[in-house]
Amino acid sequence: MSASRILQVLRKDLRLGPRSPIFLFAVILPFVMTFVVQVAFSGLLEPAPRLGIVDRGGSQLTADAQQLPGIAVDVVGSEATLRQKVEANALDAGLVLEPGFDAALRAGQRPALPFYIGGESLASNRVILAVTTLDLVRAVEGKPEPANVVIDDLGAETLPLSARLVPLIVMYALIMAGVFLTAFAVVDEREKRTLDALLVTPVRLSEVLLAKAIMGFVIAVAMALVTLALNGALDASPVGLLLSVAVAALVSTAIGLVFATGARNVQMLFALTKGTGFLILGPVIFYLFPDWPQWVAKIFPTYWIIDPIYRLAIQGDALADVWWELLIALVIAGALGAVVVTLARRMQGKLAVE
Amino acid sequence: MTRPVSRPAIVWAIVRKDAREYSRDRLWLVLTTVGLVMFVALFWLLPSSVDETIRVGVYPADLADSLKGLGASGAEGGQGLEVVSFASPEALRAAVAGEGGADGGASGGDVAAGLAFPADFTARAARDETSDVTVYVGGNVPAEVRGAMESAVREIAAVTAAAAAGEDPASAVPVRQRTAVLGPDLAGRQVTPQERMRPLLAYFVLVMESLVLASLIAVEIQRRTVIALMATPARVSDILTAKVLLGTALAFSQAVILLALTRSFGAGWSLLLAGTLLGAVIATGTALLSGSAGKDFIGTLFLGMALLIPLAIPAVTALLPGATATWIKVLPTWGVIEVMVGVTSYGKSWPELWAPLGLAAVWCAVILVSGLAVLRRKVGTL
Repeated sequence: MSASRILQVLRKDLRLGPRSPIFLFAVILPFVMTFVVQVAFSGLLEPAPRLGIVDRGGSQLTADAQQLPGIAVDVVGSEATLRQKVEANALDAGLVLEPGFDAALRAGQRPALPFYIGGESLASNRVILAVTTLDLVRAVEGKPEPANVVIDDLGAETLPLSARLVPLIVMYALIMAGVFLTAFAVVDEREKRTLDALLVTPVRLSEVLLAKAIMGFVIAVAMALVTLALNGALDASPVGLLLSVAVAALVSTAIGLVFATGARNVQMLFALTKGTGFLILGPVIFYLFPDWPQWVAKIFPTYWIIDPIYRLAIQGDALADVWWELLIALVIAGALGAVVVTLARRMQGKLAVE
Repeated sequence: MTRPVSRPAIVWAIVRKDAREYSRDRLWLVLTTVGLVMFVALFWLLPSSVDETIRVGVYPADLADSLKGLGASGAEGGQGLEVVSFASPEALRAAVAGEGGADGGASGGDVAAGLAFPADFTARAARDETSDVTVYVGGNVPAEVRGAMESAVREIAAVTAAAAAGEDPASAVPVRQRTAVLGPDLAGRQVTPQERMRPLLAYFVLVMESLVLASLIAVEIQRRTVIALMATPARVSDILTAKVLLGTALAFSQAVILLALTRSFGAGWSLLLAGTLLGAVIATGTALLSGSAGKDFIGTLFLGMALLIPLAIPAVTALLPGATATWIKVLPTWGVIEVMVGVTSYGKSWPELWAPLGLAAVWCAVILVSGLAVLRRKVGTL
């Protein structure tokens, strides 16, 4: 096997690759998935209360409201806009603070407080916003607090849905770049018979496959990291995360090579990817439903590539906590490598008689 | 001697040929079937109701009314808050911790949060003494609910102190709050996640069928079987008509199956069918465009997706709360999605939805004519 020949094929693929629609898909998909999954689905199942404020006098209440955890505060320019947004369900509720509101409140004058509730807002959100607003008003009033509140947190905290969706998006990035891009690069060359042309040069099939795998691996690593960054999950344990992503990309690329050497044409590759999609994506479903028996997820081979990433990026674990999972992933990569060698030999034979 | 053949008979023969070809393509047949089953399953897996109530426990029982009063201030009839009284702080804590069989709960079951006031809280409030109040919260309680529970404790304390001092509790509130509900009040009958997802699922089905037709057209062009067809009495217009009829029939029938299996047909069934038919024609027009332009399987798929992804935006925004931006209303599929949402989620009728339906019909004509023109040109160049 010659490193220079592999490099030459790789250089050709990197130069021509961006012309392929699949390449574009692999690059664009993490952005689209992040938007669709995080913005649409997360908001659909866990809608946080949204409060609009028209502040005509620079009230302290507005500043306090903006510090509240779990409540989205939108400072609106006019009462008409506020009413429009509340009615259109762009906000759950809105309040209008007239000039001198704080002073009137502190003077005990009971100033007026228009409070608009959206007809489509959830009843629970209405209660939360109404009670919270009253508390904000009392804080501005400045009287001593009538009770000391002691919070007793019971049970383990469940991660928000937005965090539990990250493995799904990362896995998609790995599949598109590591699996599909790698496999497509080989199958497309085979279908268009440019692979035959390549193989009449001194380049061997194993070198072509390795070059394609390197391209898929590099793009899979890059897109997985981009996806984590887009989802704000790249801060924790950078070295461990890079290592875990590299191992995940390695396994994904190995799956891609299995598909590449097993599929006769693009249609078959498409069917293979769709058909095995459940097996590949299976474990990420379990992060969405923490009540399900989590041991089932461990049956799926791809669990061992996505769990280290999840634990490092989302749960804040250290590399020392996940090294054994990475080891299992490397064993899986080795097993897939053996399958690739067998299938590549078969492919070589078929190419010779085609 | 040749028997003259009518144009409809020729078109019908081409439709039957294409349908046979479709049924032989295992890839698309499997994907269409699996997709339909998956979309229906996903619909039924989504929540069919909206939980608008926060269940809160309170000790001692005599403070439950104060908490209920706060709930009523937020939503009419106190729908947003269910208050459960407990006989002891221990029972309350156990209920919040999810430890089954907690004694002392007035109506049992788990509660998201619990407010444990001291037993002599009212007496202390009357003496203007500050009390320590414990708020128990479960692990999966979101930050805004925790904050609201803290606020509720302080509000109850203030109102109780005012009542103990002989003041009107209403006048203890330091503002004159004027509350108004804007728009139709849907508290207690919110649009469920299932209903929000329905238009997107219907769109996915239309997309799938659009890709199938695009693939059939692309194959016909690549293999040049369309030239063989032209050697028969069939004209280009017959071929185009057949493609449109088959594509629309496939997309429409699949979407209707999905809508039927998701129990979408109610009072506005005719309106829903009209909207779905327009959606099917738009999908067919898109397929004609991508099928004519794609050079191979992946090229056709990519072109199809590139056209269909922007068209999915109205269906995705139907998932999100808030008004639709003007630029989204200009997209060809907005009218179709608006009709689906209007009929299935809000029970709207023909007079209320004629505008989006009309807009969808205009777009239908534009896309279909464009698709036909591109395909006609492509066939002409072969």
